[in-house]
Order: sequence, then C-alpha cells, then structure tokens
Amino acid sequence: MRLLVSADIHLGSPIRSVALRNPDLGDRLKQASRDTFSKIIDLAISEQVDALVLAGDIFDNGYPDLKSRAFLIAQLSRASEAGVPTVLIRGNHDALLDHRAHGDLGPNIHLLHKGAPTVEIGDAAFHGLSFDAAHVAKSFLPDYPRPAPGKRNVGLMHTSLDGAPGHDPYAPCTERELMAHGFDLWCLGHIHAPFERVDGPVLAVMPGIPQPRHFGERNGGTVTLVSLGEGAPEFERRVIGHLGFSECSLDLSTCSDQQEVLRSLRDVLLSAQVPGRGMAVRLHVTSDRHGMELVTELAAEVLDSIDGVSLDKVKCAPPPRKLGAETEDLVRLMQDELVEDGFRQAALQQLEELRLALPSEIMDELDEDGLDALLEEAIAEVSLTLHAGTS
Amino acid sequence: MRLNRLDLLRYGRFKGAEIAFPKRAEGVPDVTVIFGPNEAGKSTAFNGFLELLFGFKSGAHPYAFRFDRSDLVVGAELDLPGRGIMALRRNSKRTQSLLDANDRPVSEAILSGALHGLTRDRFEERFSLNEKGLREGGERIAGAQGDLGQLLHAGLSGLTGMAQTLDALAERADKFHKKRGRGTVLKTVGDRLKEIGRELRADRLTTERERNLRHERDRTAAEFEAADVELRQAHQRQAASKAAEVWYDRTEEIGKLTEALVDFPAGPDLPPSAAERVAGIVEKISAQTMRIEEAEEETVKQDQIISDNPVDKLTQPLTAELERLDALAIDGAPLIGRASTARADLARRSEDQEKLSSQIDSVLRLLQVPDAPVSTVALEASVLEDLAAAVQECLTANLSADAAREAVETARAQQGEALTEPQDLTALRAAFDVWRAVADISAFEAGQGQALALLTKATAGLPRSWKDLVAAGLPAPETLNEVARNSATLTADLASAGNDLDARAAELAEARAVLSTHEAAPDAVDVVTTEETRRQRDMVWQLHRGDLTIETADQFEVAMYADDGARAHYLSGAEARQRLLAAQGQVRTAAARHEIAKSHYDDLITQRDRLAGRCSRLALALGLEEDTIPSAFSARQKALTTAAEAAADLSNAEEALKVRLTHQEAARDALTDAARPLGIGPAQGDLPTQVQRALTLEESDRKAWAKWQEGKKTIAKLYDKSNQCRTDCETIQGKLDRLTAALPLLDRTPEGIRAALPHLRSLHQLYDEHQKLSARIEALEQAIAALAEGAQRLARIMDDPENEIDIDPIQVIDRARSRVMLATRADEKRAEAMLRRDKTESLKSRAETERQAGNEDLNDCFTEQGGQDLVPRDRVAKLVERDRLRADKATAGHDRQKARDGVDADLFAEELDRMPDATRAAELEQALKDAQDSRDTARDAQREAARLYREAFEAADRSDLATEQATLFEEMRSGARQAAVARLGVLAARGALRRLAAERRSGMLRDVEEAFVTMTTPAWTSVDVWSQAEGEKLVGIQPDGSTVPVEQMSTGTMGQLYFALRLAGYRSFARELGPLPMILDDIMETFDDTRARAALQLCGEIGANGQAILFTHHAHLVELARDCIKGVAIVNMPD
Repeated sequence: MRLLVSADIHLGSPIRSVALRNPDLGDRLKQASRDTFSKIIDLAISEQVDALVLAGDIFDNGYPDLKSRAFLIAQLSRASEAGVPTVLIRGNHDALLDHRAHGDLGPNIHLLHKGAPTVEIGDAAFHGLSFDAAHVAKSFLPDYPRPAPGKRNVGLMHTSLDGAPGHDPYAPCTERELMAHGFDLWCLGHIHAPFERVDGPVLAVMPGIPQPRHFGERNGGTVTLVSLGEGAPEFERRVIGHLGFSECSLDLSTCSDQQEVLRSLRDVLLSAQVPGRGMAVRLHVTSDRHGMELVTELAAEVLDSIDGVSLDKVKCAPPPRKLGAETEDLVRLMQDELVEDGFRQAALQQLEELRLALPSEIMDELDEDGLDALLEEAIAEVSLTLHAGTS
Repeated sequence: MRLNRLDLLRYGRFKGAEIAFPKRAEGVPDVTVIFGPNEAGKSTAFNGFLELLFGFKSGAHPYAFRFDRSDLVVGAELDLPGRGIMALRRNSKRTQSLLDANDRPVSEAILSGALHGLTRDRFEERFSLNEKGLREGGERIAGAQGDLGQLLHAGLSGLTGMAQTLDALAERADKFHKKRGRGTVLKTVGDRLKEIGRELRADRLTTERERNLRHERDRTAAEFEAADVELRQAHQRQAASKAAEVWYDRTEEIGKLTEALVDFPAGPDLPPSAAERVAGIVEKISAQTMRIEEAEEETVKQDQIISDNPVDKLTQPLTAELERLDALAIDGAPLIGRASTARADLARRSEDQEKLSSQIDSVLRLLQVPDAPVSTVALEASVLEDLAAAVQECLTANLSADAAREAVETARAQQGEALTEPQDLTALRAAFDVWRAVADISAFEAGQGQALALLTKATAGLPRSWKDLVAAGLPAPETLNEVARNSATLTADLASAGNDLDARAAELAEARAVLSTHEAAPDAVDVVTTEETRRQRDMVWQLHRGDLTIETADQFEVAMYADDGARAHYLSGAEARQRLLAAQGQVRTAAARHEIAKSHYDDLITQRDRLAGRCSRLALALGLEEDTIPSAFSARQKALTTAAEAAADLSNAEEALKVRLTHQEAARDALTDAARPLGIGPAQGDLPTQVQRALTLEESDRKAWAKWQEGKKTIAKLYDKSNQCRTDCETIQGKLDRLTAALPLLDRTPEGIRAALPHLRSLHQLYDEHQKLSARIEALEQAIAALAEGAQRLARIMDDPENEIDIDPIQVIDRARSRVMLATRADEKRAEAMLRRDKTESLKSRAETERQAGNEDLNDCFTEQGGQDLVPRDRVAKLVERDRLRADKATAGHDRQKARDGVDADLFAEELDRMPDATRAAELEQALKDAQDSRDTARDAQREAARLYREAFEAADRSDLATEQATLFEEMRSGARQAAVARLGVLAARGALRRLAAERRSGMLRDVEEAFVTMTTPAWTSVDVWSQAEGEKLVGIQPDGSTVPVEQMSTGTMGQLYFALRLAGYRSFARELGPLPMILDDIMETFDDTRARAALQLCGEIGANGQAILFTHHAHLVELARDCIKGVAIVNMPD
C-alpha cells in the first residue's frame, strides 16, 4: 500500500516575503498554497497512491474563508473521482473542518474524529482524532484506539511532540510513547520542518509544510510518499512547493569597485538557483562600505537577468576588524554607553514609542526582549555608516 | 616624512621644473615659504605633490593641457622614516605607476607605510588648509549647534560629516515613523493595510456571512413558493369561470338542435361518405348500360371482315421452294443476287486471265529462262526477302574484310623500329632526396654564433663562479620576492613602531610629569593623609600633655598646622583630587600604551634579525656580498637564470651542428653507392649534379618506351579483326549458295542475284494474280446452272407452261414471291377480326355483371332508412342533413363536458351560479395578472439570493490582497526594525560622542586655547565649554570675562578658531604617528598683521617637530615670515 502524506497546508495563508513586491512574482505566487495543494492532488493521482493522508492544519485561522473549504472539497473530490480516497484530521487551525457546523466533505473523504476515529481502506486501518481547541495542553495519545488486529495500522496526529522551536505546544506527546503505541506508521502534522523517525518496524513521518510561507519555514516545501509493505514502512520525500527560501553569505569587504560587487552578487545569486523551483534568497553581507539599501538595489539589478531567484531580504554587517582609531573609540564608547541605566531606560522608551505605533500584528517585532539584539545591530549599523561616510 | 624637493617633470605648464625645500639647521623650525604671484602654479605644485603620494586620479586630468595625460610625470625627493632619502617618480599609469630614479617600478608600500595608511582625502583634510577651507571650517563650527565632542573630534580627525551621518540615520528612522508625521512609511503602509483589511473582510466568506446568505436564500425560496401557489389558484378560478361560461352557452345550443331534428326521416346515422357513395353507385349503373350497347355493334362489324379474307392452299409449297433458293450462295453472297450479273462478269474475267499469262512470259524472257516452268522461277515472298538479305550481307562482309586488311598494313607502316627498356632509378632518387635534405648547414652555423654571443652578453656582469652558483641551485623568485617584500614591510613597520615607541614614551613622561605636578599640589591631599596628620597631631598632643615643654608645644604647633592645612586643602581640593585621579589614570593608560608599543617594537626587531640571517644566506647563494639589500636579489637571480639559459642554448646549438655534419657525410656515401650501378661516379664530375641530370631525363625515356609498347598491342588487335572479317565473308557466301541452288538462273553470283531480284519480285506478283482469277471464273459458271434448276420447280407448282422457263428464271421467281405475299396479308386481317370479336363479347358480359352489383349496393345504402318515396339522390341528401344536425348536437354536448374537465368542481359550481356575468372574465384576468406579478417578483428575489449564495463560493479568491497584506507586513517589520536600529544607534552614538568629548576635552581644549589665544591676543584670553540642554558649546572668553559663543564671532575669528582646532589636531597626530608635511595655501589673507604674525609663529611650532610649507602671493607675508620664524626658507615658484 502506498500513501501520500502531507500536513500544514494552511490554505489561503500567503507567502510573507518582500520578494513578492515584484509584481510578476507576486501575481504568480498569490495563490501559492492553493496551487501547491493542487500539485499534491496531481501527485497523488499520478502516483496512484492508495490513500492521501492529511495530518491537520489544512486551513489557517488567520484566513477563515469558506471559499477555501469549497476549494478543498473540489480538490479532494477530484482525487476521489480518480480513485484516491483521503483520510484527514483537524489541526489547531481547522475550524472550517468542523463537520458539525459545515457537514461532511463528500464520498471517500474521511475526516477522523472522536465519533469516527477509525476508517479501513484496503488492508490498513487509519486512526485519528480531531480536537476543536486551538490550544491543547494534554496528550491525545491515550484517547487513540488500539491497533486493529490483522491490519496495518496508520495513525494521524497533530502534535508538537516534545516541543519545537517556533511552534506553539499542541497536544504534546513524547516520541517514545508514540512509537510504542502499536501502530505501524504515524502521519504527523504541526511542525513545519520535515523529519522522519524510525524505531524498529515503526515509522513516524512529519511531512513539513508543503509551501513555505517565509524564511523561517525554509526547510519545508515537501510531502512524503510512504510504502507500507511486509517489513518496515519505507518513505521518500518529494519537493512540491512553488517557492523555496535560502540564505547566502557574501563578503564584499574586499571588493574594490562596484563592478566587483556586482560580479560577487551575481555569483552568489546564481548559486542559489534551483531548477524548476523559484527561490527567495536572504543575503547576509559583510562589508565596511556597502549599506543595506545599496546592496538591495544592486542585487535587484543583478536579479533582472537571473531567472527563478528573488531577494527576500538583505542584512549587512561590518567585518569584525580594522576600524579607524576614531571609529574604534566611538564603538568602544557606544558599548560602554549601553550598560548605563539611563541609556537603557531611554532606549526602552524609544523602542516602546515605535512599537506602539505599529499595527498589532507585528508589534512582537520590537518586543522588549529583543532590545539587546537591536542594540548590537545598532552599533554595527552606526559603525558601518560612519565608516562608509569617511572612507 | 619630509619633502626635500618636488620635481615637476612634465606636469601642467611645467617641464623639468623643481621646487627645493632646504633642510633646516639644527634648532631651526622647518618652515618653507613658497612665494609666487597669482597663476604661478602653486595649486599645480600642491596637486602634483598629492598625485606623487597617492597616484593620479582617474578620468580627465585638469593639468594635462601642455602634455597628454599619459605623458604626465611628477617626482620628489623624500626623507622617509626608516628608509632615508629616496627619489621617487609617479606617472599616470593605472598600475606600477610609482617609480624609482631609474624609472623602475617600486612598491606602493614605501609611501603607504610612511603615510600611515591615510587616503588622499583624509590627507588633504588633515594636512592642508587653504582660505576656502578656513572659511568653511569656521562656518561649520558655528553651524554645528554646540556639540563640542563633535567639534573637537572634527577638528582632531577631520570627521566633520559625523553629525550629518547621524542626522541621516535619524532621518531614516523618521521617514519610517515620526510622531504626527503624515507621509511616513508607517502611516502610508498602515493606511493601505487598513484598506486591504476592509476589502478582505468584505470579501471573506465567513461562517456567519454564509449563514446569512443561506437564510436569505431559503427565505426568498419560501416566499416564491407561496406566490406560486397564489398564482396557480388564480389560474384555476379563471379556468373554472371559462368552463362555466362554455357550459351555459352549449346547453342552449343543444335545445335548438333537438327541435330541428323532428322533421327529418328516422333511421340510424349514415356511415361517413354515404352521400358520395350513393352518387357513385348511381353513376356506375348508368355507365355499364351504355357499354353493353356499344359491344353489340362491334361484334357485327368484325364478322364482316372475316368473311372478306378466305385461306390460299399453294402458299406453303411456294414458300418452301423460295426459301431453298434464298439459302443457296456463291462466294459467300446469295445466289439470287449474283445470278443476274454472272454472265457478263464471266466474259470479262476470261480476258484478264489471258493478259496475265502474256506478262509472265515476258518476265521469264528477261530472266533469260523462257522455257522454264513458271512455278520453278516464281518464289514465295519470304524466300525473296531472305535472298535479298543474304545478298546484302555478302556484299557488306566483303567490304569490311578489305577495310580491316588495309588498317593492319597502315599500322605496321607507322610503328617504326623497336626501343630499349629504361632502367629503375627509385633507389637513386631516394638517396638523392636524403642528401639534399642535409646538404645545407649554414643555419646551424649561424645559430651557434648567436648563442655564443648571447652567452657572452649574459655573463658580462657576473662573477667567474657563476656556473658553480647555478649548479648549486638558485633560490626561487617567489622566495626572493617574499624576502624583499617582507624586508620593505618590516623596515616600514620598524620605523613606524620606533616613532610610535618614542611618542608613547614622550606621552608617558608627560603624563608622569603632570601626575607629579598634581601630586605636588597641596590641595591634592587625600583622606588618608588627613587621617595621618590627624593621628600625628593627636600623638604629639598626647606627648605635649605629658611633657608640657616648649619643644613639645612647638611640635604640637607644627603638627596642628599641618593637620589644619591638610584638612583645609582636603576640603577645598575636590577638584585637585579629581585632576590627580585623572592624571593617575592617564599615567596608567600611557604606561600600558608604552608597554604595548615597546613589545611591538621588540617583536619587529626580532623579526628583522631573523630576516637579516635569511637575506645573508640568499645573498651568498646568489654570489652577492652578505650585506646586500634584498631588493637586489631579484635582478641577480634573473641575471644568473638568463646566463644559465644562454649557456644551455649554446650547448644545444653546437650539438645540433655536429649532428647535421654527420648526417651529411652518411647521405653522400649512400648517394655514391646508389649511382654506381648506373655508371655514374665522382670520377665523371660532381656526383650530385650528374645524379640530378639522370633523374631529370628518366621521365621522358620512360614515356617513349610506353608509347611503342602501346602501338605494338594495337597492330595485334587490328590483325585479329581482319581475320574475323574474312571468316564472316565465307559463312555468308555459303548461305547465299544454299538459297539459289534450286533457281534455274544462269548467273548466281551475289551481283547477278542482286540484278535478277526486281524481275523475281515482279514474277512472284503476276503468278499470284493469275492463280486467283482462274478460281473466280470457275465459281461463276456453277451459279448460273443452279438458278435455272430452281426456276423450273417453281413453274411446276404454279402450273406454268414448260417453255417459259427458257425465257427468264428471275421472272418466275418474282411471280411466286408475289403470290405468297398476298396470301399472307389475308391471313393477318382475318385473325385480327376474330380477336376483336372475342374481346367485345367479354366486355359486354362484364358490364352486365357490374350493373347488377350496383343495383344491389344502392339497396344496401338505404337499409332501415325512411324516405322511400324519394329518388336516391334526394333521399340521401335529406338523410345527410339530418345526420349533420345530430353531430352538432353531440359536439355541443362534448364541448360542454370537456370545458368542465380538470376544473375544480366547487369553483365551477360557484362560477356557473354567476352565469351569465359579462364582467366576470375581466375581473378574473386582473386578479391573475396581480398574482403573476407577485410570483415574478418573488422568483427574482429567490434567484438573486441563490445567485449571491452561489457566487459567494465561486467569487475570485482575493489572494492578491492577502499576499500584498503579508508583503506589506513584512516590509513594515523590516522597516520598523531598521528604524529602531537607527534610533538606538543615534542614541548610543550621541552618548558615545559626549564620552569621547569628555575623554579628549582637557588636552584638546588646552591645545586649542593656546593656539587661539596666541593668534588673537589680547582680544581673546581663553576658550571654554558651555554645557547646554542640547549639548555642549564652544565659547571664547574676552579679557573682561565676557563669553562669546562661536556663532556670534566674526568670520575671521571663527576661521582662526578653526585654524586653532586644526593645529591641535596636527599636534595630536604628530604625537601619535609622527609628523607629515603640513601645507598652508594663503590662509592669512584675512588676518591682520598681528594675527598673521601669531599664525606664522604657530607654523614655526609645527616646523619645530615637523615640516610646514606655506604658499603665498603676498610679499608682506614673506617679510613677516622672515621676521617671525627664525631661519625660515623662502623659495620662489619656478618659471
């Protein structure tokens, strides 16, 4: 039996990158989550899998639109008409999958929940639970059915497992307990970076988010094909997303003129090309003369002639070395200044003033906790600006 | 660094010009005043000096008017720390533009080390000043709004753009967000985000919106259902009303029809089309009666024709005899047709036969065989053709045999005498080719000579042992370059470190002196000392209390005064103690810096010693003295390498010549051996010449031999062909003999046969025609006899007399044919009349039967019907009218019943009760229209609600807005972070600047004040700093104690204050890194003599430790300089 496993589709949730300010790219990727889901259905049909498994977070709470539900039903019906049934559970973003409020999804589309936790397809029994709350502090595992005898048992669970950076805790569950439950395969969701765990004959698959939405999800962009044979399940990751994210480091401190800068930028951006897939690149530039705005402009100019690569963001930092005597003194004194109580109070005040002016959605960007990192960047920025202005 | 001389070799208007800067005597300030009028080239000279130090600027050159840019050259003699005096030049090339006195490229490190890494711009900022810079510097101080740290720092380091840089950072943050800012990024993007949010919320199909749409859809559907029911009821009432009206009308009509039917005959309804049927039957009976009468008349007419045509009994025998005669034929044609012309034809054919016999006899005579039977001479056509072909072949074969024989004879006559076969010269040619390839040795001799000359030239400047050095192995060029580079760098670093060490030592000594001064100050006493003096005083007091002597009293007095003094100093000495603490800190800092500089210097000394040892080893390996400088290594290594290569080239050339001579000798021997079998040898002259001649003739001899052989083969072929022709001739003659063997001709040679052939062909034709004519005459005679016999038989049948037969058989036959034809005609007419009579009888019988059947049908039509007294046509018309009335009555009843079908019974009853009612129909029509309108309105509303519900799902996904929203949030995140970084950076930088100002304030302020007061005394006595809310401000203090902020000073005073700041900066730099030439270009134009004098004295102070160069075009300033600066050098600009 072959299964196509995916999770965390987040239909309707857009890509968050400055790269999409490019009108062409923005237009092409405005429906990236939907387009990627269509590709998943295409893959399931072309691979003739026995079932498509979706382990939660098909929708996104930030974009509650029943049109997305209609789109989901249309796509899953397409798979069903091609002979591919779907088994799915709700995640913490799936209010639109509430069958009591919105009804069933259609024939051969099995939403597992407490009232119907198990469905059998061929010689496999699929078990899963869907919970309604956006935050669940306890483990789902004790409520899962026991393995069906004489069947290959597949579990679907939306869980943060032992915890993952960048992800809210949700139905935490230890990996050891999960693998010992008696199922042959666990199809998991919630963590957007893909991984697999193998414990003897048991396999757990976290397929990752199929279409990364921002730089922090750059490890995603995949689905997983699982073969359930006689022995241990076998798996194969497939790249599926329309756009990937990557980061490149570039040292411009030795470039003597702008032509050399352009050449270096071109080399590093060309190296980011991936055939058949768009890439948004975050550039970490080391330079004592080139500010972020200049590098961004030059990179945009270079990218005009490079297909498939866009600029996500540029970050500039001066090299940790020779500074002029005056600048060196200034940096030293700035660092001394940081530890002064009065300065810290004034800095927090300025930060709070700016933070309160921001829309609530992005206020976290200037949290007080990030002050030290901001001050470090500030010293680097002043040093870079002064050096650029005096050289 | 000191500039000893500036060489304007090809630069601007100058060619080969120089400006010398005389060296100072011991104890004399190093100040040079360059005097020249306007346009004398002072700026040119200053720019040339800068380009010597830093290279030519790219792009169009302002001084390339006399010489092209590529030809510009400046030079200078510089005294460089650690290197001594060096003459350097600079051209305009992009690379390797710095040259030594011999125009050889030298490393840029020589100058960059001496300039301590300064760029051209920073050098200009620090070490040059002109009137414009002075004025703008003053304005910058005034406009800087009181940031003393920045001002002092600007004066010190030239970083005058720091405030602007920080302002730019703050502005960047303000662009993102500023309180009450309207056009900020945050405001603009925020507005757009709100707009997007509104659009997205409006577009989003939430659960609640879907529920509302669904409810609306269901409500309008229910309203539509209700309106539809109303409409249907209106339709039903209208239908019931119409049915009642029909019912009422038809009931009245039925009553009238019932009354009319009483006057008509009784009986059942006629079947459909009964009237037409009765009319048809009556018509049919009438027609059959007429046919019977016509048949009886026709029968009488046919009986008359039969009696008029009886039967002839002789017809059959006459017909049989005529058929037999018609069947007889002659030559394929009927006998009857030919018999009439046969007699005349027979006579003419006999005459033709006689003529042919006569012609045959004539031909036989021409062939000279008049008595021979014609059948033996007349040949068949095919035999004649074979004979003609054989004669032609025989003649052609004889001609071919004669021609072949003549060709053989001609070829033999042209062939001539036989030739001797030439000899094979292949081996001789190969040997000659080998010899010719090695015959010339002049190139090898020339090569040897050139290699020898090159070796001699390459070893000219080398020691005799150069070969041993090369054999021992030379150091790698990379090694030598590395050593030279390290040596140069180390020398520069060492000089720099030495200067640094001296400066640090001076700084430490100065700090210690300051500390000593502060320590010596009485008010610097600390609390420990006061406690000590108090303890001392108490101890002496105790002693005095015990002894109460004058001596103890004096001791107590001293201790008491000491303690009081210490305490008084302590109480008033807070500031002194602070100074002491600062001085102690400075001593510690200076000591640490001195230690670091010392350590760095020692490290460099160690490196230099290590490098010197390595240089010695390399010098010996190159055949140089041990103390040779590393820069010479590379040239010597290159010379040794060149010499080694030249020696190898010479050896190779000698060896090549020797090999070539050996090859030449071997080739000559081989050539002699190859020529000997051909009878060619050295004894007959120059061997190669003889061989070359023999090889040249070989080709023509070989061609003549081949041609003779070819002629011989051709003659043999022609001879064979002649023999073949003779054989063919004999074969064809035999064939001709066989064909003519039976012919009784006298001459049977080919020519005789060819002459007889036309007569033989004529005889063949005549004989054939004679044979055919004889057969024809015989056939004609037989036909005439047969015809006479037939005529006799016919006459006997018709009983004609016997003698008539002799007259004409044809007439008898014609008469018989005429009789047979008449009898046949009569038989035909009789048979036709009998046929028609039978047919007429049959028609008559059928018509009688049809008429009887018609009468019976007519009686059937009126079965059970009344009206027997009427003729059939009137009777049936009456019955048809009766049936029509009955049908109308039935239709009315049916219509009445049909109108009621499907109509609600109650509504029908209600409406029937209303009949008759003329307005009821209009009333119900209006009610129906109203119901229809209501239903249509409800239907439209229902469809609209359904459409809205459906389209809510089908609506385009506004993912473009969501994407733009996400992108804008990302931009805003990034912008907010950058703005925060910029604001925090500015905050930290301003604080740091204040700290920097505080650190450097005391020393800098002292230097600035000293220079400023020197220039401006007695107008200004001091310089101070004011702290204000917005920062700190530099102020000048006048003799009466009044303070004047910078921005309130005159332009000249501001310029002098800026000059003072720059001088302080120069001192600081020179103290830390060593002096560089300071160049001042007519900065004292606006100074009065007193201040100019003071400024010149300050220049003298620069010259005390470094070098000051003043350009001016004012003669009085030159004189002032002479007065103010001891030993100042005055130099005129060159022409």
